[in-house]
Amino acid sequence: MAKCTIDGREVEFVAGTNLIEVAAKAGIEIPYFCYHPGLSIVAQCRMCAVEIEKMPKLQTACSTPATEGMVVKTRSDRVRQNQKSVMEFLLINHPLDCPICDKSGECDLQDQSFKYGDPYMRYTEERRTYLDLDMGPVIKKNMNRCIHCTRCIRFGTEVAGIHEMVAVQRGSNTEITTVDGRPLETDYAGNYSDVCPTGSLTLKDFRFRKRAWFLKKTPTVCEGCSRGCNMEIHQDANVIYRCLPRTNMEVNKYWLCDEGRFNYHYVNQEDRIVLPTLQAGESYQPTDWNQAIDQAKAVFNGKKLAILVGTDLTNEEAIQLQTFLPKQFGNAPVFHFGTPGIASTQDDAPADQILKRKSRTSNLNGFEKLGFKGFESLPAGIEAVLVIRGGRAEIPKFAAGVKVVGLGVFHTAENPGFEVVLPGTSFAEKDGTIVNFEGREQKLKRSINPRGQCKQLPEILMMWMNRGMSAGVAS
Amino acid sequence: MIMAQQHEPMYIQYFNDECRPLSFYLEKMNGYAASKKAFGMSQDDIINEVKKSNLRGRGGAGFPTGMKWGFIPKQSAKPKYLVCNADESEPGTFKDRDLMRYTPHLLIEGMLIAAFAVGAHHGYIYIRGEYTREAKLLQIAIDEAYAKGYLGKNVQGSGFDFDLTVHRGAGAYICGEETGLLNSLEGKRGEPRVKPPFPAQAGAFGGPTVVNNVETLTAVPYIINKGGEWFSALGKVEKSGGTRIICVSGHVNKPGLYEINAGSMTVRQIIDLAGGVLGGKKLKAVIPGGSSAPVLTADEIDVIYDIEPLMKVGTMMGSAAMMVVSEDYCMVKLIQRITKFYAHESCGQCTPCREGCKWMEDVLERILHGKGREQDLNLLLDITDNIAGKTLCALGDAAAGPVASFVKKFKPEFEAYIRGEKHG
Amino acid sequence: MAKILSQKFYDEMNKLVPRYPTRVALLLPALHQAQEEAGWLPSEVMEEIGEYIGIHPAQVREVASFYTMYNLNPVGKYHIKVCTNVACCLRGADEIVEHIEKKFGIACGGTTPDKKFTLMEEECLGACGTAPAMMLNDDYYENLDIKTIDQLLDGLK
Repeated sequence: MAKCTIDGREVEFVAGTNLIEVAAKAGIEIPYFCYHPGLSIVAQCRMCAVEIEKMPKLQTACSTPATEGMVVKTRSDRVRQNQKSVMEFLLINHPLDCPICDKSGECDLQDQSFKYGDPYMRYTEERRTYLDLDMGPVIKKNMNRCIHCTRCIRFGTEVAGIHEMVAVQRGSNTEITTVDGRPLETDYAGNYSDVCPTGSLTLKDFRFRKRAWFLKKTPTVCEGCSRGCNMEIHQDANVIYRCLPRTNMEVNKYWLCDEGRFNYHYVNQEDRIVLPTLQAGESYQPTDWNQAIDQAKAVFNGKKLAILVGTDLTNEEAIQLQTFLPKQFGNAPVFHFGTPGIASTQDDAPADQILKRKSRTSNLNGFEKLGFKGFESLPAGIEAVLVIRGGRAEIPKFAAGVKVVGLGVFHTAENPGFEVVLPGTSFAEKDGTIVNFEGREQKLKRSINPRGQCKQLPEILMMWMNRGMSAGVAS
Repeated sequence: MIMAQQHEPMYIQYFNDECRPLSFYLEKMNGYAASKKAFGMSQDDIINEVKKSNLRGRGGAGFPTGMKWGFIPKQSAKPKYLVCNADESEPGTFKDRDLMRYTPHLLIEGMLIAAFAVGAHHGYIYIRGEYTREAKLLQIAIDEAYAKGYLGKNVQGSGFDFDLTVHRGAGAYICGEETGLLNSLEGKRGEPRVKPPFPAQAGAFGGPTVVNNVETLTAVPYIINKGGEWFSALGKVEKSGGTRIICVSGHVNKPGLYEINAGSMTVRQIIDLAGGVLGGKKLKAVIPGGSSAPVLTADEIDVIYDIEPLMKVGTMMGSAAMMVVSEDYCMVKLIQRITKFYAHESCGQCTPCREGCKWMEDVLERILHGKGREQDLNLLLDITDNIAGKTLCALGDAAAGPVASFVKKFKPEFEAYIRGEKHG
Repeated sequence: MAKILSQKFYDEMNKLVPRYPTRVALLLPALHQAQEEAGWLPSEVMEEIGEYIGIHPAQVREVASFYTMYNLNPVGKYHIKVCTNVACCLRGADEIVEHIEKKFGIACGGTTPDKKFTLMEEECLGACGTAPAMMLNDDYYENLDIKTIDQLLDGLK
């Protein structure tokens, strides 16, 4: 392997790798703002400039690939002086509003300022200020905090494929904006905030809800579609505050779509049915687990039953059901369901040019591999249905008169009209395996405790089995 | 070797309206003979001839033209382009305007030869937007050339195809920087690109591209007609061939264009050539190579006016735009104006230039308005240090160099403001 | 959306199409041509240009706003741009600006109430040998002094 020397250490590298990455591999940090491994290289912020032997000027590490025998210094006086001066330039027009800035605590500018800046400020001129135009429901802009790194612009044009976020004017008047404050159009807008190295673009969804340092982070996988983008759930005191993408070059690179990012809301939603519940007229009546199970069994008693299992469940759950269902319900037909029109992986396809797929549940492939059949319509004569799902599989419309019992995550706003709801757990409340469209097995990790009296599927199945005799199923 | 003993002008005798038409060019200037000759030469021979000529870029950087052409790969999957930089945006420069206005066919023929030498079949003249009249005149000349078979398919029966398009800029100094220019040509913001890749590898529309200044290209027909050695011998200092059109402006009695053999005169002699300092006043300063060139004091003008000699005294020849300042003009006011220009023209991409130029402008403005502080001069020098050599393109250097030189060489004038003895 | 730009605009642009390998390269010529028709570049015009070229309107805006010659706000019938850069400054451009400001009672950047004149300071026009210089709409006027300025401006209807 080719070798170069960084700060006196011999470092191996793969040809074509830039100095930031080569140094990082060796544990040497070269600070930067505009560089982002998933975006084109513009060498604008100048923070990553390093000294390279035989080159008179400092060179930006982001735009310089390592070469055999190259001798690089990342901590020389000249390099440090440049870092100090870039920090000064970036801060002369940056407001000192960290105490009220949402990015505080996870801000590149703040961190680099501590590490590389000078605490003394020489600037006494009037600071540049902007009046901010809106950008739609996802992103809140504060242009005064912007350091013109253009990562957002590059994300839009290079990844989201839309030239909606632009720089207008030029020089020190440059402003990042959409046309006349129009809402962002991409459904990947949350990434604009992720790539922003300052508090200039923040998520409206997250703003002012929690300080970054209070958040506990759990690496998990998005359940929003069959891609299974890797992400982190950030929670505090059992409340999820946000989901952020987690880098996985083979699945989602650095990105996450807005649907996946904001999908978590249903977990905390007010109207989630978190207690065992019976339907009484138009409204739901909370009850206890024993009564609910008894009532469910009574509903099924003597009726011709079908079972629908959501492809938003994990492999582990699916396998347990494969044992449980025949034991309890004999040869009642079992189907998987998730996205209308996507009855099998054959129907699943990219939904856009970026990440999204047509299957809006995460484990279609897993269910198919386990031998479940896709739901198209209820067989003739079915009188009752057991619907088991995580929280995303879309419940089909059943003919009037078909009695339904739900097991899993449901909301009153969905108004499923179920006879009984046995409250289960969402993707954030359990561990498990899901299989994405290309057959990649990935792990969901539990980040919060189940809400209310929601229980994990195995526990509910156990209660069902232990609660008297099995339901009499018409054969 | 042919030695040109006397000043031997190539251009300025033609700077009047009757020289513009194709008919004049053909009859009086041996027009389109050089391209005819070039079509009979190999590409390498043409490039070698230009190398021999010691022709160096007339836009400001002074890069050897033949070498630049030599960087263009012979084979390329993408089309190659020739781009003429007619942005002429460095303050003080006004030579290309006359070259385009009066000798458009010299430029067209120069481009034809250059394109043939590097294998480009489309050329663009990127002309600054304000030169609307010159753009129209160029278009007329191009139309003439197309009509007579000097452009288009199978030029002069050579089998070589060459199209030429005039592309107007729209008011941005930075588009004089070749990669900013290329972005602008492509319909983008005129922001300079990260180099490498250099234009010779990936320039206009991703293809290998040569970018040459107007005056550079107009020298090419002469070189082909009369030979590289002839051209080289016009120069009186090492490494510089040909003549130079010098743009003299400011406080001289006869501002205008002066053509001299490269390296044949000192700054002082050129001022004299332009009629001496306006109104017989004493000379205070000379900005020798466009407003981005560090300033020379009246004591520093006995230097040969060419690339290397000026570099040795810490300044530059740039685009050969010499601005003369007489004794009673305020240097603080002047540098504030220059710095305001660079702050206005900074594209804003890179940190030191975007923030630093405006900062310097603001500090200078404050000094000018009697609100200067003792530490301001050191602060200014510090800012220039933090900009110079650390920006993405040369605009940072262009802004920092003058400020540093003004503060160092005319310190007492700044101090008078800071002490409150003067204000603007 | 109803078209604002004339057939002439489209004819001129279509003529240019074969001169460039990409469509985006038409953007600067299109903005020039559109401004020639409308005098400035209202939002709807930039929208229409974007549609013609096939790019997002934001892309039109980012480019148009980069270049000082594109007027993103209306200007007067006569757009006076006085160069105040080094060479012109050395030759008295400041006095010329001041004179015009007083003459029309507007500051630099302003337009007279009758929308007849807009005055702006301009960066170097490349007419330093004939300083001070200015542009009046598309035309250069050079070797200016107060007298020639008055003659010129007073003669405008």
